[in-house]
Amino acid sequence: MTTIKSTAVKPDTTMLPARAATSPIAAALRQFARSPAGVAGAVVLILIILATLLGPHLYGVDPLDIAGAPLTPPDADAWLGTDYLGRDILSGLLQGGRATLAVGGVAALITIVIGVTMGSLAGFFGGPIDTALVKVTEFFQILPPLLFAMVLVTLFGQSLVVVTLAIGVVSWPSAARLTRAEFLRLRNLDFVKASRAAGGGNGHLILRVVLPNALPPIIVSATLAIGVAILFEGGLSFLGLGDPNTMSWGLMLGQNRNYVLDAWWTVTFPGAAIFIAVLAISLIGDGINDAINPRLRKRG
Amino acid sequence: MPPVLSVKDLSVSMNGTKGMVPVLEHLSFDVAQGKTMALVGESGCGKSMTALAIMQLLPEDFRVTSGSILLDGVEVLSASPKELRSLRGNKMSMIFQEPMTALNPLYTVGNQIGEVLRQHRGLSRRDAHAQAIQFLKAVQIPAADKRVDAYPHQLSGGMRQRVMIAMALACKPKLLIADEPTTALDVTVQAQIFDLLSELQDDTDTAIVLITHDLGAVAELADDVAVLYAGRCIEQGAADEIIAHARHPYTRGLMACVPHLQLGRAIDHLAAALDEIPGMVPPLGARGPDCAFLPRCAFASEICRAQPQPPLDRINAGAAVSCWRHQEIAPGAMA
Repeated sequence: MTTIKSTAVKPDTTMLPARAATSPIAAALRQFARSPAGVAGAVVLILIILATLLGPHLYGVDPLDIAGAPLTPPDADAWLGTDYLGRDILSGLLQGGRATLAVGGVAALITIVIGVTMGSLAGFFGGPIDTALVKVTEFFQILPPLLFAMVLVTLFGQSLVVVTLAIGVVSWPSAARLTRAEFLRLRNLDFVKASRAAGGGNGHLILRVVLPNALPPIIVSATLAIGVAILFEGGLSFLGLGDPNTMSWGLMLGQNRNYVLDAWWTVTFPGAAIFIAVLAISLIGDGINDAINPRLRKRG
Repeated sequence: MPPVLSVKDLSVSMNGTKGMVPVLEHLSFDVAQGKTMALVGESGCGKSMTALAIMQLLPEDFRVTSGSILLDGVEVLSASPKELRSLRGNKMSMIFQEPMTALNPLYTVGNQIGEVLRQHRGLSRRDAHAQAIQFLKAVQIPAADKRVDAYPHQLSGGMRQRVMIAMALACKPKLLIADEPTTALDVTVQAQIFDLLSELQDDTDTAIVLITHDLGAVAELADDVAVLYAGRCIEQGAADEIIAHARHPYTRGLMACVPHLQLGRAIDHLAAALDEIPGMVPPLGARGPDCAFLPRCAFASEICRAQPQPPLDRINAGAAVSCWRHQEIAPGAMA
């Protein structure tokens, strides 16, 4: 690790070729590029995002319009068939992916923002603040997440915004616990003390000193939270609690579930889309984990 | 001229399960501008607690129970959190023992030195960066204009300690506390760091509180010495005086633990065996009013057992000692 030894009181400049500095972020990116699974996941996810952004314009069929006879099998007109109302499945996949990915991303963001805020305050200050915040976290954690989300959606209405918020509100406790554990580990390290000795206030210490060092596991858990949120949205929609006015993969699954045996294409394609998207995100999460966790790096 | 740092009757206690346990008792010392005060003693004697009390960075369970700490005329113990933040890193700063862990691994060293300047001097990012290069040059880091963008893991231990010193001195503090600044470094690098500290002290006139158990460093750097044992100051005075005529058996014992090497002379076998002080520092909570060194002291007698530890007894202008028998132990040292 230590490569440079100074041997004289005023060491000779020539013996120490100062290397180009490598930032930790650049090093992690390079490491990520070496993980085949992570790169594959990233490629697939980028393709999915491109398809949902560009696809609806190229495949000009409205996903809510009746495009043909109900439950038509895949043919030249409707490439992936039609659902029980005669709506085009492929168009639904392309358009619905936007909502699904947006719900996943925003819900994961809410999860992380609430979780990191609670966890960092609890872990940094300790004492009574820690006790209080941990109690709040535990209160949310003991509620069964799916039931809790169902209650929220039933109370506040079946819109995409409510669904997203509900998913975020029920999933933050694990992020809070993770962040708190990292803060507890980091807050007594020398460089945190040194920062305080240099006049750093609490805000500076939390945001600029401790949090950046706590980020690696939080980034991994944020990535995985996107996948979980997508599954959650699918689950809620499957139970009929999604937003009926916005096409999403979960909604397609939920609305066509009665025709599983008669028209396989109505549920197989959205189901496969969810599967592939969540798998891709999980692979990216694993790739990031390998890239920023030096203990796993050696195992290859 | 009033001293930069004046510690009076400082006591620190730990709030443990069995109530308040004294960690540091009635410590007093002054450090004048440009002077170095060394705090010496074994591990667990309260040296680091003194440093943390001055910085007001004591761990959660520790409390200052009495005394006063005046830094440049300002009472540190009654300063508000905001005042403390503007004192720390600005008027007083600290170098830690472990340079490997005392720098934030995620920021370049230039960024970390610059941060101090930006906070206390309100410099822009660019000016702070330029100043950081100057400070790296001042602490004799070669190729400073390139090293300023290096991350801590790219530097050796000695380099990192130089960076720590640059950070600590960036705002030209009145007081620098160096908590065993060389313990984690190679012997050759240790000497360089001490040389660097004394050079920088000559340039900046900073008062230094040096915490160490390296008596060689004390002889080289310190103007005054306070020897701590089990949270009590047992001998205090001018460094030359204490090193030449240690009076307290503990100080004498510490001296005897240091090898005295001379060039060109073979070490005979008897002299090669280093002395040691038998026993351990009594743990926290097991310290009564008796002389804390009593169980380990070769000179302990009835007079010591019969009465509590004596207060620091001023022998002359340069020395004070807390021992009942110092006149018998070191009779020739009377000045």
